Amino acid sequence: MLNTLKDIVRKSSIHVCLVNTGGCNGCDIEVVALLSPRYDLEQYGIYVHNNPREADVILVTGAVTDQWLENLRRIYTKAPEPKVVVAIGNCPLTGDVFNQEGGSVYAPVSDFIPVDAEISGCPPRPSEILEAILSVVPGAIALKGRQNK
Amino acid sequence: MILPIGPIHPGLKEPLRLKLKTQGEKVLSAEIDYGYVHRGIERIMQGQTWQKSIFLAERVCGICSYIHTQTFAETFEKIAGQQVPLRAQYLRVLTNELDRTQSHLLANSTYFKALEHETLFMYMLALREPVMDAIELLTGNRVNMGWNVVGGVRMDARDSHLQKIREIIVKLESEYDKYVEMFAHGPLLGLRSRDVGKLTYDEAIKARAVGPIGRASGLKHDLREEHHTYKDNLDFKVIYRKEGDNFARTMNRFDEIRVSLDIIKQVIDNIPPGDIRTKIDFGAGYDQWRNEAPRGEVTYMIETNGNLIKEISIRTPSIMNIDACAKYMLKDVATVADAVATYATSDPCIACTERVVILDEKEGEKSYQGIHNLNHKTNLINEK
Repeated sequence: MLNTLKDIVRKSSIHVCLVNTGGCNGCDIEVVALLSPRYDLEQYGIYVHNNPREADVILVTGAVTDQWLENLRRIYTKAPEPKVVVAIGNCPLTGDVFNQEGGSVYAPVSDFIPVDAEISGCPPRPSEILEAILSVVPGAIALKGRQNK
Repeated sequence: MILPIGPIHPGLKEPLRLKLKTQGEKVLSAEIDYGYVHRGIERIMQGQTWQKSIFLAERVCGICSYIHTQTFAETFEKIAGQQVPLRAQYLRVLTNELDRTQSHLLANSTYFKALEHETLFMYMLALREPVMDAIELLTGNRVNMGWNVVGGVRMDARDSHLQKIREIIVKLESEYDKYVEMFAHGPLLGLRSRDVGKLTYDEAIKARAVGPIGRASGLKHDLREEHHTYKDNLDFKVIYRKEGDNFARTMNRFDEIRVSLDIIKQVIDNIPPGDIRTKIDFGAGYDQWRNEAPRGEVTYMIETNGNLIKEISIRTPSIMNIDACAKYMLKDVATVADAVATYATSDPCIACTERVVILDEKEGEKSYQGIHNLNHKTNLINEK
């Protein structure tokens, strides 16, 4: 009974923290575009809050730069359990164009923190981001919540 | 008391640390720490061909990604001493103005979000989506378009697409005035915006403010006046104001969008038929080229060896504007909430700013580090 209730609550109220670890901003503005009336992220109970201490979902955009090597891990540990990490764009997956000789980025992000879902694209369209978040996140949060108890 | 804001903070979309020195609610002064998204773009570009580098130039900044490729391509064309066909020039102007429109709408929406005026924030984003549709119709992508090449543009635009873009623009213009009125005559918005975060004419010159931030403080400087396509073929006037406060900066952006929409209509009505791409004879040489990005002037300095880039240096507008914001606008702001709003009006783009070259004379080699690391490194050198 309690578990079912918790599942419902976790699925219907999701707080999001957006962390740009060294991208070009493209993915960040596509996430901002999700707030617009056309996509309306908040109708699904998702709230972009940018506060790691009350985040259920951490959206990582960008490959990891020198400054983020330790800070990304710190932000990850600050978020309360259960938490889901979604990597948006090609940068957190492969480093994209920055992962070449001379670039000071480290990829993929999954070397540093566990990643639950990945969306490729440079940048992915807002509808793709929304679809990925909706199809993965509520179920993953509920599942992780039961495992932790 | 020092109040740190960022790098991850509800008020900021991009990583940057803002240190406010406060007395009670009043902000006495501010300091800024950069360096969170330094990726080493200039270093990667060295020794690469332009075909590879143009995609890196596009990813200097995601919001004004278009103007970076245009400036990059035009620098190469200037080194070769050639000009692209007129139709390609017109198409470049068209995309540039669409990009400027969406960037200014996003900047204003961020300001309204910082003021906690959700209604106008949503209206601005709703207005922005049709413009993004127009960009997608023209170039095939919403943000990183890959539309410019050295010597022209990649794809031709169909007449039916151009007419559709014109329809979108006319529709946008017809409902646009309502929202500007909401801001210009809203009593609460006016109270929060007027005389907050003042940047005077002298301070704007001292801080080298550019773009809408400089123009709102009376600096009548718009590089579009000097650009050959605008100068020879198109008709527009530079918007500027004298007040230099948050209200002036936001209104300046609103008025510049009107000018941009007007230019888009002129382009679609007068676009000539012809080629969209010409063959460029690459030679060795050095040159620089400046363009008006949505946030101010962007400069590319490129030294080439034929097709390859020997040395490249990129100067983006945000770094001057953010410094002007930290040093002059945030000084003596009445409340911390206003300080965040003032920071939002300076339209910061952190991804743009993150590049610096450190010349370590003792070792005689160049190293490429972020600005945050620069402070760290100078400390190390001092300790030695």
